[in-house]
Amino acid sequence: MTVSAAPAGGTNSTSPGTADVLYQLSGVRRFFGKKGEVVRALDDVDLSIGEGEFLAVQGPTGSGKSTLLLLLGGLDRPTEGHLSFRGRDLGGLREHELAPLRAKEFGFVFQTFHLIPTLSAQESVEAALAPFGLHAAEYVRRSAAALDELGLGGRGRHLPAELSGGEQQRVAIARALVKNPTVLLADEPSGNLDENTRDEIIGLLEGLWRERGLTLVVVTHDSSVARRAERIAVIRDGRVSAKRSAQA
Amino acid sequence: MSPFFATYLRRQLSRRLREAVFVALGLALGVGLVVAVSAASAGVAKAETGVLSGLYGVGTDMTVSGPPPLTAQAQAAAKCRRSTARVCSIAPGVQCTRQGPDLLCGSGAAIGSAKTPTGSAKKSAGDGEILFPPLNRTVSASTVASVARLHYVAVATGVLTLVYQWPRGTYSVDGVSTGRTSVGPLSAARVLSGRYFTAADSDADVALVDSAYAAVNNVKVGSTVTIRRVRFTVIGVVLQPQGTSPPDVYVPLARAQALGSPDKHDVGNLANQVNLIYVAAARAADIPAVQSEISGLLPGDTVTDAGSLASEVTGSLSAVNTLANDLGRWVSALALIAAFALACLLMMGAVAHRLEEFGTLKALGWRTRQIVGQVLGESLVIGIVGAAVGVGLGFAGAAIIAAIAPTVSGTLVNSSGVSSAIGSMQQVIHNGGDAPVTWGAVTVPLSPSVSIGVIVLAVILAMAGGLLAGLFGSWRAARLRPADALRRVE
Repeated sequence: MTVSAAPAGGTNSTSPGTADVLYQLSGVRRFFGKKGEVVRALDDVDLSIGEGEFLAVQGPTGSGKSTLLLLLGGLDRPTEGHLSFRGRDLGGLREHELAPLRAKEFGFVFQTFHLIPTLSAQESVEAALAPFGLHAAEYVRRSAAALDELGLGGRGRHLPAELSGGEQQRVAIARALVKNPTVLLADEPSGNLDENTRDEIIGLLEGLWRERGLTLVVVTHDSSVARRAERIAVIRDGRVSAKRSAQA
Repeated sequence: MSPFFATYLRRQLSRRLREAVFVALGLALGVGLVVAVSAASAGVAKAETGVLSGLYGVGTDMTVSGPPPLTAQAQAAAKCRRSTARVCSIAPGVQCTRQGPDLLCGSGAAIGSAKTPTGSAKKSAGDGEILFPPLNRTVSASTVASVARLHYVAVATGVLTLVYQWPRGTYSVDGVSTGRTSVGPLSAARVLSGRYFTAADSDADVALVDSAYAAVNNVKVGSTVTIRRVRFTVIGVVLQPQGTSPPDVYVPLARAQALGSPDKHDVGNLANQVNLIYVAAARAADIPAVQSEISGLLPGDTVTDAGSLASEVTGSLSAVNTLANDLGRWVSALALIAAFALACLLMMGAVAHRLEEFGTLKALGWRTRQIVGQVLGESLVIGIVGAAVGVGLGFAGAAIIAAIAPTVSGTLVNSSGVSSAIGSMQQVIHNGGDAPVTWGAVTVPLSPSVSIGVIVLAVILAMAGGLLAGLFGSWRAARLRPADALRRVE
């Protein structure tokens, strides 16, 4: 089964249009052993994601969406099948080869934010720059700029516990974007937020995608969020069961 | 190292202060105990050294003495004790009377007790007096010269130790060389008043008295001390190091030897005789060689070094020594292991709470070694804090030990012969030579001391403990698969 990009507001397609293919998944399976049973989180997934594409991965809870996102981010490996990023076999890379990829190419936004509770907003953003070995002043300058861009210029010294859910997610987005990644992988980014904040965050992500031209993959169970994507991949029981364009 | 390392470290320690304090305190307790026990051990060693150096004299490596009580008089005293007769003679003119557990000996009608002299001051000089002969076999001064000429010997000096008893009391007398030597009973003494012997005093009736004896008997420079009707003029009062049992009176060796003569039936001829030789080796490493040389020269004599003398110290000094060196080390080792284990457990617990955090850091592109380094850095700082607090606790513990155990006593069971002229004599008089011979009890101040070496050791131990705890903690973080950590909360 192949899911491919469709142009915004366009029709079904088997390839990511004119864009270069960034990800290529062929027969990807991810199984887990649990109490003697095999859980098929992903089962025979074929998927292409184009560079600069905005893809929504939609499905019910437990369908394998987050597992797919972890595979795309190099945080997990397929049990079987082939997963490539810019032609490199992500599943075959070793940990010390994956770490630089995660540092430079992938930005993550999680449903539960995953902000480090002891670090302030600015320090949380700086944490994403730690693998680059920058000068101290550069840390401050870039993290402050990222927070400013997300409208959190005055909240840099606040701890996560002192921020609202929406603000925490903005900090997480700033942390993901401060290193100018190629791909932004968002796992239910609005799952813990109220409706207004959800729209605000999704609008923010969409705006960043348009402005920066980065590839955006958003995992969601919310159709209103998925509809804003260029293309939607629907996952059910570990299988990509349908594909449709965003405005279909 | 990334500048963010310090920021992250600071935030972790300051905002997870309680966890950090628990780990640091665990390490500090273990380290504090090690420091306190080491300090107590050092204090005991110092006290023991004080006793031994006092018995030897500073600079002395060993002493040489003849076999303990073998004289005819001692054997006679033992026989006298076992007999059923109330009165018996142990030497011509010396009679002993059994009174309860004591054997009261003296010449003629006047009999004094070695334990509690009861002689009357009204008795004429000579009545009731007795100069006990040295119970170690004496050797001639030429033997001392032979010892001094041995290859590995730096210096040797002979001493004649005697006990003089008369109706007014009993005191011990050492006949010593009048030249200032680096070994011998006076080598560590300090002259409090008057002067030391000079070469010109070798045949003079002059004496030095110990400060304790002088204080009790109100003896000053210029006073006289009478030994066998010879009036010795006191020329100086000397102070021996604390914790020693010095003789009461020092007289020139030649004058001590002159106290005996062929016509003195109690001691016999002591001319040119000594019964104890103090020896210093050329180098510490030569001590075994010196022992071997002396054993060859004087077969049958006893060579006593610090090690063998220390093994003969009993009493609370020995008990404290055992406590500090054996039990204390075990306790501190166990405490240290427990502290390390506690620190490791606490650190692993702390890390377990941070798995999500480490998963996030991996998602941000942190390498495993960066995360491990971060955890180790935190552990190291905790270890340093633990060391500082532990050293403080150790000092406090040492102060408490010093406060609650200011003195300990040490008793030398003298089978080897050092200073046995006094101890053996008293024992023979009281027990007839059947019981082990003791060289009195001495009180030794216990002053625990914390050395720089111990502080360095404590810092190293605490830092090692912190790093060990960090390694255990970070080992788990290093093995963590980021997806597993993130799935825990997603």
